[in-house]
Amino acid sequence: MVVCVYIPRFELVVAAGDRAKVIRETLAGRALAVAPLAGGDRSRVGQRVGEVSGAAEARGVAAGMALGEALARCPHLVLVPGDPVRVAEAWEAAMRALESIGAAVEPARPGLAYFEAGGLRGLHGTQERTLAAVQRVLGRPVRMGAGPTRFCALACALAASSQRALVLEGEEARRWLAGRPVGLLGFRVQTAALLEPLERLGVRTLGELARLGRAELTDRFGSAGGLAHRLACGEDSPPRARRVEERLEESMAVGDASSGEALKRVLGVLVSRLLARSERRGRTLRAATLSARLIAGGGWRERVVFRQALADPERIWLALSVRLLALPAPATMLELAVERFGPPASEQGALFDETPARRGAHPARLDAHPSARSVRAARLREAVAQMRAVAGQDAALRAVCVDPDSRVPERRVVLAPVPE
Amino acid sequence: MTRALNTPRPARVRLEPARPDGMPAEVNGEAIASLRESWLVEDRWWTAEPLRRRYWELVGEQGRDVVVFHDLCSGRWFVQGP
Repeated sequence: MVVCVYIPRFELVVAAGDRAKVIRETLAGRALAVAPLAGGDRSRVGQRVGEVSGAAEARGVAAGMALGEALARCPHLVLVPGDPVRVAEAWEAAMRALESIGAAVEPARPGLAYFEAGGLRGLHGTQERTLAAVQRVLGRPVRMGAGPTRFCALACALAASSQRALVLEGEEARRWLAGRPVGLLGFRVQTAALLEPLERLGVRTLGELARLGRAELTDRFGSAGGLAHRLACGEDSPPRARRVEERLEESMAVGDASSGEALKRVLGVLVSRLLARSERRGRTLRAATLSARLIAGGGWRERVVFRQALADPERIWLALSVRLLALPAPATMLELAVERFGPPASEQGALFDETPARRGAHPARLDAHPSARSVRAARLREAVAQMRAVAGQDAALRAVCVDPDSRVPERRVVLAPVPE
Repeated sequence: MTRALNTPRPARVRLEPARPDGMPAEVNGEAIASLRESWLVEDRWWTAEPLRRRYWELVGEQGRDVVVFHDLCSGRWFVQGP
């Protein structure tokens, strides 16, 4: 049984300050929307609003709409400056709260997460108690749904109220899912583009979509069509829990050094302080997050994956200082956090290059030399780690022959993760 | 995450009524020019989920090699390979 936790308008509420006043305003019918990100496309058509309040939705404004169109539809729309820094902090706190009750959480996006509830019965007893524990640790109104798959759980969460979770199992879940609107496919990146053509074709519910047939949908829409059919039929891949790593961060109020060279010097201090932390235990840094609170309100956040795992403050500073140029406005505070650690800094290259190339060996024999092989293996490990840091665990796979003589082709070879 | 490679994908196949052997005349919109090979795979017949497939290795009009099979249990067609 998969549980979906959905916090509606999470980014909007956090960006607006998470204050009771703001929530009252939202409920009182004020049309709010998260302003387009500062520093993005400056043209009025290119700038798009973020999450919107219910009142704004009622006036025809939707998340992702061009700013000009949103203002034309709702002239009284109040734009709230986006704050990706606070959103990331609040979402991280929510994830850790869920993990504190034993859940292995897959965060889909801020405000939406999944976890497998089966393993938690030993801790909490029943399904109801598990859901109650979620409500308790999050401490805010959430919508929860539980179903046999992630997609079904999401549909349940969207249909549930914050007072009562919707739990469906087995055949009942599949029957119920058939009556849900195809708009649910918009919550998946891979299938979001199908909404418009499906609406034009007059397909309104997932049941109607399922009746079209998988082969026909795959033929018309490619792999997205096949996935949409799988989801509509109640099939989905299981949740993939995130890798939990300890958080290491340093922040500093920048005072007068709000931009330019002075800000780069503040960054240098942050890098030195981060590398000096004993919790680092000599490990290198593979990915980091640089964020800032802006004088004008709101925040800015940038994820940086280094070309190789680093422990040298000068090189880390060089890689990060370039990103400061993208800062959209003067900052009041700068923060640097480690997102992923690399191997310990002691795993460094040899002082003297002992490869045969240096000694004039024939290039064709380079691979045969043990040191050349180890260098290649180390480079491959490094490349795999970088790819995974950027694109996730599935970024580097290898083909493994499991039954090469099988008469059934799909049993011969499997794709397995490349060991780091 | 381990997953199988070369898994079958649903195919849209048009049969030639004049051919009694059931050879496809068109696969996913591409007309078939010639037949290279055909073979039968029967496996797991001792289980509740037997596997019975009639494979066809064909050459499309554009010279592309395509392998499809007819699942004799479900009656559906699949394409396999790149």
